[in-house]
Amino acid sequence: MDLDADLDVRPAPAFAHASEAELARILDFYAVAWEYEPHTFPLLFDRSGTVLESFSPDFYLPELDLYVELTTLKQRLVRKKNRKLRRLRELYPGVRIKLLYARDFRALLFKYGKLSLADALTGADGQTTPRKAQPLVPTAGMLTDEARLMPTRAGPGPVGRLADDPVRHFDHGHRRARRTRAEARARAAPDLSTAGAPGGPEATA
Amino acid sequence: MTRRPDLTADVSEILLTEEQIQAKVLELGRRISDDFAGRELTLVSVLKGSLPFMADLMRAISIPVQIDLMEVSSYGGTATESSGLVRILKDLSSSIDGRHVLIVEDIIDTGLTLNYLVRYLRGKNPASLRICTLLDKPARRLVDIAIDYRGFEIPDQFVIGYGLDYGEAYRNLRFVGVLRPEVYTDPG
Repeated sequence: MDLDADLDVRPAPAFAHASEAELARILDFYAVAWEYEPHTFPLLFDRSGTVLESFSPDFYLPELDLYVELTTLKQRLVRKKNRKLRRLRELYPGVRIKLLYARDFRALLFKYGKLSLADALTGADGQTTPRKAQPLVPTAGMLTDEARLMPTRAGPGPVGRLADDPVRHFDHGHRRARRTRAEARARAAPDLSTAGAPGGPEATA
Repeated sequence: MTRRPDLTADVSEILLTEEQIQAKVLELGRRISDDFAGRELTLVSVLKGSLPFMADLMRAISIPVQIDLMEVSSYGGTATESSGLVRILKDLSSSIDGRHVLIVEDIIDTGLTLNYLVRYLRGKNPASLRICTLLDKPARRLVDIAIDYRGFEIPDQFVIGYGLDYGEAYRNLRFVGVLRPEVYTDPG
């Protein structure tokens, strides 16, 4: 039985962080299909129904129906992400999501004998995409309660394994990564609550 | 790992004593014997870590069983890294078509290897496929897999002994212990 046969080989996405590329390699290795940031979940609305805050988990594993969010920020900086996750679980109780903290990711790399990579891939050092809030034009809000709770497809996230070295691709593709993220956010919702923290590490999901 | 392992000094804490392990193995053996009575059972062990558990568990089972061994490559292994895909390093020796299969694992943490194995073995048409693990570290789970027989749920610590290794050492300890962090943070 060839477990690799059902995996499409598509171009690597532009990962926002090298740790995401490494996780994609691990998932590829174990033949776990994944999509990169395929969905955006609106979390906060104003009275007119306009989305004020949203959350785009890093990975969706379709065979497991599981979202994975990877954060390599220091523990004290993940408060906002934890809040978003709690909100997501309140609004979308059927959505299964797992948050991998920096310590979890370090443990994963240690397990695979790649502890030396952990420091390089953890925190701001692993980023090539500046985590900067983008000035966004509010889009038409979703007005009905039912519509508001429908996740938005953020883009054509690839399914399957990487066609080439994701880190190499990610190094060359950081401009595209920034553009893609900005486009995704614009399609989903303006995150006005983070506009006051330009460049802050918590500016994006 | 360049330093010479010290089987005593490198252990910061004994998590499970030899007596605790043996009592649990006997308990698991009794349950498995009851559940599979009258069925054709094959135990499939995953090398190398589960060898001691497999050896003890098969002798704690009171019904006829066949055994088989598998080995799969691990992410980050130098021999397979270039391929970028998990590989079966040692496949089953006998067919499991129509047989009841119990995968015997030493520890389940992320579940990635086991998820791969389950999918692989399901493709070989067993009558049923169940999972037995001595140790379960749920804090590290990435892929949720139903575990039919669980020995101990353990905290999120790096454990060694009773088959579990660090740098291929410590497998021969008769207990499960916690490795001192200095051992893997200070390789010199």
